Amino acid sequence: MPVISRLAALLKYLRHRGQAERDLEDEIRGTFERLVAEKVQAGLTSDEARRIAAIELGGVEQVKEQVRYAKTGALVDSVFQDLRYAGRSLRKNPGYAAVAILTLALAIGANTAMFIVVNAVILRPLPYRSPEQLVMVWTGMPGQTVPGRSAFGTVEEWRRRSKTFADIAVLDPISVTLTDNEGAERIGVARISPNFLPLIGAQPVRGRSFSNREAEERRRLILISDRFWQTRLGGSDDAIGTSIELDGLPSEIIGILPANFDLPGLNADVWEPSTMFPDWEARRGLRGPGSWFVFGRLRPTVTVDQAQTEMDAIARALDEELPASERNLGVTVIPLSVYVVGPRSRLALWMLTGAVLSVLLIAAANIASLTLARSAGRTREMAVRAALGAASGRIVRQLLAESVTLVAISGLVGTLLAAAGIRLIRAVGPLDLARLNEASLDLRVLAATVTVGLLIGILIGLAPASTVLRKNLFSGEESGRTVSGGLAIRRIRRALVVAQFALAIMLLAGAGLLVRSWLSIERVDPGFRPERILSMQLSTTAVEASAQRANFYDRVLEQIDSLPGVESAGLIGDLLISGGSEQVVTTEGGAGTTSQRLLLRRDEVSERLFATLGTPLLGGRFFSIEDGPDAPRVAIVNQTMARQVWPGSDPVGRRFKLGPTDSAPSWFTVVGVVGDMRRQGLDTEPVPQMFEPLAQNPSGLETLLVRTSSDEPSKMVTMIRTAVGRVDKRAPLYGVTTLKNRLSADLWQRRFQTSLLIGFAGVALLMAAIGLYGLIHYAVATRTKEIGIRMAVGAQAGDIFRMIVREALQLSATGLMLGLVGALLMGRAGSSFLFGVTAADPLTLTTVSLLLSAVALAAGYFPARRAMKVDPTVALRCE
Amino acid sequence: MAAKTTLLQGTLDLLILKALIASELHGLGVSRRVHQITNGTFDVRPGSLFPALHRLEEAGWLTSSWGPSETNRRAKYYRLTKAGRKQLADETTQWNRIALAIAQALKA
Repeated sequence: MPVISRLAALLKYLRHRGQAERDLEDEIRGTFERLVAEKVQAGLTSDEARRIAAIELGGVEQVKEQVRYAKTGALVDSVFQDLRYAGRSLRKNPGYAAVAILTLALAIGANTAMFIVVNAVILRPLPYRSPEQLVMVWTGMPGQTVPGRSAFGTVEEWRRRSKTFADIAVLDPISVTLTDNEGAERIGVARISPNFLPLIGAQPVRGRSFSNREAEERRRLILISDRFWQTRLGGSDDAIGTSIELDGLPSEIIGILPANFDLPGLNADVWEPSTMFPDWEARRGLRGPGSWFVFGRLRPTVTVDQAQTEMDAIARALDEELPASERNLGVTVIPLSVYVVGPRSRLALWMLTGAVLSVLLIAAANIASLTLARSAGRTREMAVRAALGAASGRIVRQLLAESVTLVAISGLVGTLLAAAGIRLIRAVGPLDLARLNEASLDLRVLAATVTVGLLIGILIGLAPASTVLRKNLFSGEESGRTVSGGLAIRRIRRALVVAQFALAIMLLAGAGLLVRSWLSIERVDPGFRPERILSMQLSTTAVEASAQRANFYDRVLEQIDSLPGVESAGLIGDLLISGGSEQVVTTEGGAGTTSQRLLLRRDEVSERLFATLGTPLLGGRFFSIEDGPDAPRVAIVNQTMARQVWPGSDPVGRRFKLGPTDSAPSWFTVVGVVGDMRRQGLDTEPVPQMFEPLAQNPSGLETLLVRTSSDEPSKMVTMIRTAVGRVDKRAPLYGVTTLKNRLSADLWQRRFQTSLLIGFAGVALLMAAIGLYGLIHYAVATRTKEIGIRMAVGAQAGDIFRMIVREALQLSATGLMLGLVGALLMGRAGSSFLFGVTAADPLTLTTVSLLLSAVALAAGYFPARRAMKVDPTVALRCE
Repeated sequence: MAAKTTLLQGTLDLLILKALIASELHGLGVSRRVHQITNGTFDVRPGSLFPALHRLEEAGWLTSSWGPSETNRRAKYYRLTKAGRKQLADETTQWNRIALAIAQALKA
């Protein structure tokens, strides 16, 4: 093809430009010199010869320029001409251009935004040294849903015995009270083993970290986060060496960590040695389940599977050496990247990406279809251009220029939309999706967008271009009959419409299922009445004796109860939790004691807590004033615990303890059974829960729940603060919000995903409808003659109407079938997102099928009406 | 000096190809030869000739080589390729057909 050889020559010329210039100089100036020589020989003087030769030649530089232009300039010029022509053509058809640009911009924008998120959350490697070697180690068998943390002694054993790990470090997130001039506040602290930072590959940007010896000596040295340094110490240069008061004791700052150094979900302001626990000596020897997160770095050539195998063996060996209570139920090794963004989030993201890509495909199909219809009407124009000497390559290039221009404009608009969309996602998106804050437009995303855009542009432009090439342009001038480009084009367009409907149904079904899941979740009974309850965090300053803490809480509750507008108030460790921890529970049975391991959540509560929450009492009694610090230990259990520990019998009056039979903790007597509270989210089954009276076990951190009689509980906040202040001015009170807000925050992610999918499905359906409408409308417009004939031989208007509508329904029905199959497959893949509905839910599928058919009917209705109005005499006459 | 008759690009190509049918020539030579075979009707300006020569070479109908010339500077000589000869034959047939048709139309 001449186009190709010209391009090849052009490239060769550009590469060897230096040599080409020398050649050109030789050739042209040589010609000039030869001219001059000739004239001199004919008798002219040197000057005369040069003058006349210059006139004849036209100037050496000018000629050289003209040669250069012939090589490159012409090509560039013609490309510009193509672009200008494309622009004019688009401007003449503003409707087509607007529809095309709008749909493509939306689709490209959505896709770009999706790339950005996927890039930040999944594709980009974690910001640590050799992150592929980092793993986390959990107790519990692989596949168990709740991974368990480990005790320190067990981790030390692992570290000593393992050969596949280069090193193992631990981290325990806790909160302490920071006291400064402005009062007291709880902050997040990470207690880490000294080898944690080197293991991750992070170093303080200023100062240093603590050494093994300093940790052993339990020196109060801390590292602070960059955020803490900036916001609280004003980024001052002499922060290092100063002290801050944590839990009543001074700690010296020895280092500042880099900005953005954090583990997802951690939010620690202060990092201190693991030895800082007050009960360190006891804690370090503990085995079995515990509170430590375990991080490991594998040796360079070790795979995760190899590490898992080795750890399985080590865990088994340890289990054989240890008594039952200190055992772990197996060990799981998980790559850190998988922990940071779990399989469920990954699946969600990939499915969303798939949804967005299908919307883009639908959009492209629509535009291609529209372009095809348009090109068919331009056959004549193409024929004329060919007759005037345009090479077929040039015509193709011109068509491509048009579609590429379209896509370029849409891409630009789309990228702007994406940037705005990303801001929106970061503001209202799922808060716990790790690394979302790193989402930004970067080179990889831009490259992906440009590539996709080019491909789409070429696809869209190629469809009409290929038909132009195939036809014999000189005889292509058939007026009305082959306008649609013949059977092939019609088939393509019909296939496109079917595909659009199939995709639309899949998205609609997905959206419908998610909506039903959402509705099911909303109907779930949380086990308590959250209306009009205020929730806030309260803690006592410093480490005080239990009696003092109990006293503090009593007085706070007293003060609050006396406020007008307060119905009741209660205290609990935390109402909304993420899980339980593994415990050994020993009960007394007929034949002595039995022990079992259980996932258990343990809380201390004030007397009136259940009354405040509205939790039903199923047996026995609530706590009373008699369950004081010196009274026998009592507990209330929830229904799930009652069922698991005392199946078939009434637990009230029975005793149990946490630990094996002969262990230290004392026995609890069950005094009451309450209904299950769903504290891990409405869609998670409640774990066994046990409650102790606050008086018998006052911890340092509590959630205060206040049920008010007003419908706007937030109005009472100041009064409550004052009331607490009356008891202790320095007591930190924070995180004030209504309980309903806290509950709905949990459902954020689900609501976000559902809304997104509804949006996509709506757009997909709209575009499929537009596609069908365009197709049918065009078909009617070009079959006027046929319709005229039919009417002339006796067809009624109604028959024509039905014929057109039937065609529309046939297409949509085919799409529907294919789409339903796809929807079933998709539903099975994403079944983890569904709640209360199956993937093949008949109600949902029927509804969306009906919806789709209705839309198809509407899309076909208007063209069908037009068809009905065809006047046979006019139709037969027009040619 | 002959009257200025404008040439379409296609016909210039044709003349250049014809000019080179017998022997290889450098740019100036081609210009002279065209003048000669058209009996002075066409005087191709270098500004049109050299771009055309380069273009024809790129299209594969001519090939070039460097050789000595009347002056000290080397000169670029062009000659027809096999494809060029075929192109010349095709275009000649085409041209004759068109010329015949137009002549007939004008006669009528």
